[in-house]
Amino acid sequence: MVISMTLFEGNAGEQYQIKGLFVEEAITRRLEALGLNDGTVIHVLTRKKNGALIVKVRGTRLALGKHISSGIEISHVKVDGNSNVPDREAM
Amino acid sequence: MQKTDIKVAFVGNPNCGKTTLFNAITGSRLKVANWPGVTVEKIEGAASYEGCSLHLVDTPGIYSLSCYTIEEKVTRSCVMDDDIDVLVNIVDASSLERNLYLTLQLLELGKPVVLALNMMDIVKERGLEIDLHRLPEMLGNIPVVPVSAAKRTGLDILLHAVVHHYEEGPQNDILHYADEIENKIAKLEVMMQANYPTHSSPRWHAIKLLEYDEDVRMEHPMQILNVADHNYEKQIIQRKYKYIDSIMEEVLFHKEEKEQMTDQIDKVLTHPVLGVPVFLLIMAFVFFMTFTVGDALKGVFEIALGFISTSTEQALLSFGTADWLISLVVNGIIAGVGGILTFLPNIAILFLALAVLEDSGYMARVAYVMDGIMGKVGLSGKAFLPMILGFGCTVPAIMATRALETEHDRRKTMVITPFMSCSARLPIYVLFSEMFFPENPFVICISMYIIGLIIAILIALVMNKLEKGKSNDSLLIELPEYKRPNARTIRIYVWTKLKDYLTKAGTTIFIASIIIWFLLNYGMQGMVTDAGESFGAMIGKLLVPVLAPAGLGMWQIAVALISGISAKEVVVSSFAVLFGVANANSADGMQMIVTNIQSMNPGFGAANAFSLMIFCLLYIPCVASLVTIDKESKSHKFTIKMIVFQLLFAWVMAVMVYQTGKIFF
Repeated sequence: MVISMTLFEGNAGEQYQIKGLFVEEAITRRLEALGLNDGTVIHVLTRKKNGALIVKVRGTRLALGKHISSGIEISHVKVDGNSNVPDREAM
Repeated sequence: MQKTDIKVAFVGNPNCGKTTLFNAITGSRLKVANWPGVTVEKIEGAASYEGCSLHLVDTPGIYSLSCYTIEEKVTRSCVMDDDIDVLVNIVDASSLERNLYLTLQLLELGKPVVLALNMMDIVKERGLEIDLHRLPEMLGNIPVVPVSAAKRTGLDILLHAVVHHYEEGPQNDILHYADEIENKIAKLEVMMQANYPTHSSPRWHAIKLLEYDEDVRMEHPMQILNVADHNYEKQIIQRKYKYIDSIMEEVLFHKEEKEQMTDQIDKVLTHPVLGVPVFLLIMAFVFFMTFTVGDALKGVFEIALGFISTSTEQALLSFGTADWLISLVVNGIIAGVGGILTFLPNIAILFLALAVLEDSGYMARVAYVMDGIMGKVGLSGKAFLPMILGFGCTVPAIMATRALETEHDRRKTMVITPFMSCSARLPIYVLFSEMFFPENPFVICISMYIIGLIIAILIALVMNKLEKGKSNDSLLIELPEYKRPNARTIRIYVWTKLKDYLTKAGTTIFIASIIIWFLLNYGMQGMVTDAGESFGAMIGKLLVPVLAPAGLGMWQIAVALISGISAKEVVVSSFAVLFGVANANSADGMQMIVTNIQSMNPGFGAANAFSLMIFCLLYIPCVASLVTIDKESKSHKFTIKMIVFQLLFAWVMAVMVYQTGKIFF
């Protein structure tokens, strides 16, 4: 059973998997274009008290403000070596 | 058939090395930096290869062909232009996964695409390997050329590919969507071809229509709702990344996650608590170097200038030149222009420091570090980047606001950016702090920078309160890998800035010095011996009552401030011309100005000097900046409102500073 949480609640040093994006349409599209899609693995590198954080996703680092991080639904992911690309249902 | 004129556009993600590559090929010297928003306009250059003349266009970095910011609009319209024959897609091989998204979009345009794989050395360093045979296969057999923009390798092979791929023409579609979407694309393609038969890239347009792209829909008003019944963008993006996932699986080997240098450095520089203090320390160090090292080098310039000034005067005297001409050359031109040139070492060090900061990859981190503070005043941390650029020059800083997402944020940033002390204000600070605060001139200088920064943030805060804005917390910025600054890049950057400074000294300041000399030496009766009867005095005296409460009630200062609008350095030039000082930036010159100014009515002391510096910090930026603001805001009303506000604000602050300062000094 997976408890859903937002990236805003994520801890530095942990890996999560994106479950869904719930921000404005324009920002959602932008995040998707940057490769933050359903199922993408996201690694929280550091976070500030106000919720701004740095994540690593698809090999690049992004700084995200609280507004965006609290609109990204995530779930914990077990670190199992090489599978950075989790299976997804076909479109 | 071989066409000899080929138009090539360089397209790629921000920070992938487009401009460095462009510079390497065309031999131009464009500014490069390691953070998004550096190239905000397309720039053209030329090269020739195998008898073909190539017209190259460098574009602002983009992540996708959807338009969110002005830069992205610039790039998209350039890429879509039918004149462009070949697209060179520069890809950062060290973040291939994200970079390929744009590649897949470019391929859908149906134009010839050549992939330039940059930063392969980082890939190697990380113990990764890219299969250079499989990658092109999976991208529809487009040429894939490994290059190093910094080390300038692979350039000929790239140009070869451009010339020959141009002849081969476009490749086939490689990416197929789900049947439902493909059917819709096919239908929309037919509609596109029927309604816009001359349009190229019908497939791309069809996909964009399915993605509900605003611009494409506006430009092609068709009844499409029966086909594009909802927005398919999410599915289309996800399909592209699914394809990228499969490319990565087949092409990238030895995926290992070792602690990278960048992460190590980031532990300090982007530390949740230490981030801001570290940033402030770095900036303090930059300005410390600017003032101390710059001042140490100043002596050389002083000697040279003194020599030029006296020998010119003697030479002119020996030719029996008319007095007025000697006065014009020695007291007008040499004093006005020469005084400014002695600040060259300070300016060079300031820009050297900024270049290193920009090229290392730290700038984007500053956006993250300052996001908390900027968020409270309703701006994103990204808005802080133009502000830092403002320490160099306001003009490019205003241009850099293009990287901001909304027009509202852009204008707000344009209002506060001029409060960041540009390098032209540096001579004013140095001169007056050394003349009136000889014990600790450095502290006074640095205080100007800090006051400017605090005022900028406070004004943003007040604006935010007035518009009842919320705090802004939608920062979204990529943080590039740290890298050792490239010597060539730094050299180009600093030299370009110094050249600008020298050009300004030779044009604006030169002309301003002549005009000031004329205004101060001529009056209603022709040439005057007493400057108090000159035209300049007549104009300046009009403003004396206004400036008096700020401790600036001298016609000479009024003249200096008015002429400073042409370029802020001219304030210093005017003082030099006013008091006939050959080199305002030397001990003798300063002494002469101090003696002169203090003997005047109503006296001029430390409080007056500080008030003058505050006024120069806050009043309207130079004409070039104002023109840029007008152009970038596309509103005369906005520009005029800003001018009025800044003049009033500078006056109020200077009055407050002087009236308070009078009590203490």
